[in-house]
Amino acid sequence: MGRLARAVGPGLLAFATYIVFSGSVHPLDLLAALLVGATVGLITANLVVREPRKLLQLERLGWLVAYAIHYFFVDEVRAHLDVMRRIVHPAMPINPGIVRVPYTTESDYATTAVANSITNTPGTVVVDIDPEKRIFYVHWIDVKALEPEETRRRISLTFERFAKRVFD
Amino acid sequence: MKAWERIVIGASMVIFVALLALVYTLGALGYRVPPSTPRDLAMVYLTMTFNPSNPLFSAMAPEAVTAIVWDYRGLDTLFETAVFFLAIIASVALMRGVSLPEKPPSSAEGMSLIVKTVTKLTIGMILAVAASIAFHGHLTPGGGFQGGATAAVAPLVALVVFSVYFLERSGVTKNRMLGLRSAGLLGIGLTAFLVLIGSLLSGGTAFVFQNQPKPAAPIGLPWRIDGALTGGTLFLFNVFEALAVSAGFTIVFLLLAVPEEEAIKVVRGGEDGH
Repeated sequence: MGRLARAVGPGLLAFATYIVFSGSVHPLDLLAALLVGATVGLITANLVVREPRKLLQLERLGWLVAYAIHYFFVDEVRAHLDVMRRIVHPAMPINPGIVRVPYTTESDYATTAVANSITNTPGTVVVDIDPEKRIFYVHWIDVKALEPEETRRRISLTFERFAKRVFD
Repeated sequence: MKAWERIVIGASMVIFVALLALVYTLGALGYRVPPSTPRDLAMVYLTMTFNPSNPLFSAMAPEAVTAIVWDYRGLDTLFETAVFFLAIIASVALMRGVSLPEKPPSSAEGMSLIVKTVTKLTIGMILAVAASIAFHGHLTPGGGFQGGATAAVAPLVALVVFSVYFLERSGVTKNRMLGLRSAGLLGIGLTAFLVLIGSLLSGGTAFVFQNQPKPAAPIGLPWRIDGALTGGTLFLFNVFEALAVSAGFTIVFLLLAVPEEEAIKVVRGGEDGH
């Protein structure tokens, strides 16, 4: 039962991938997608999912949507404007460096979501992670702070709040 | 780069262009490259591969490449497949007795947490895309070999990101892959005789590798189900070929992941008379 429940999430992902890639919803394709989804889901179940209950907690899905909206329309826009200003500014005001950013997320998915959110915004790139010390090493286009708590507040605190509610 | 190397390379480029210009001027490639109209042979396949008004000469699948590969010259493809799998058998035979060291080296823990987490999700998506490429081989570019090669990317990525020990623990072993590969080859072999077997059971005759009805052998697999084109045997060939190819590639990846000193130790053993 455990594996079957864990297979639901990855199975749905494979099902959707198959349908989108094929570009067809003919009954035969739906049947094929169902078979592929079931097979892939069962193969990857224990690798991908630890707690299948989380899939049923719809408030997590709501937080995911909120995360996406906030990320793409607030954080991304802010970061793009900032980097654009630095590019077109005649003096090119950059102060690059690599800083330590601690993280407090529990699950691998939350940590990865935070790390990818940092990397995907212009101006900051996660170059390494130390899971034992729970620290990201982040390359920052304009180092405004060095103290771990301050870098966390400026770079990743928003992402962490959302990611924890979605995945932890 | 030495001076004389530059001269040789430069001279051969000049000679190549001059010869090409000569050939073109003499009309050996035709006066329009590419030709303004398809050649006669191309027209035959373009009008025949999917032609419901002429079912006796049609493969009834709109993807001309797959129709040619698994129908018009199906036997040729069967031997091509045989060559590929002989190569894999040869590599398995060459590395017989070779296995991973029992104890993983301390470096065998793969890449960072972030890469691992993303890879967990993409492995399933790679397999789904591979299945779609293989299952639609008779409709869109792609097919069994392409789908199988795509599917083999999943174990390859897992091997790099998680380490080969992870694959072994998850049950992706050489022997299992040999089993899958054999199942795929068996499927290809059975599909080649499918129409013939059906025909013999119903008291008629048919050809080996037959797909659609032919003159004197009026039997074939259905080429559409509920309005969706199936390509008859083409679909089955693609599915089994994908299975065999993905398993075959995975075997080679697993063998190549064995550390060289370990492999050499075993392969050399017999030679030294141990």
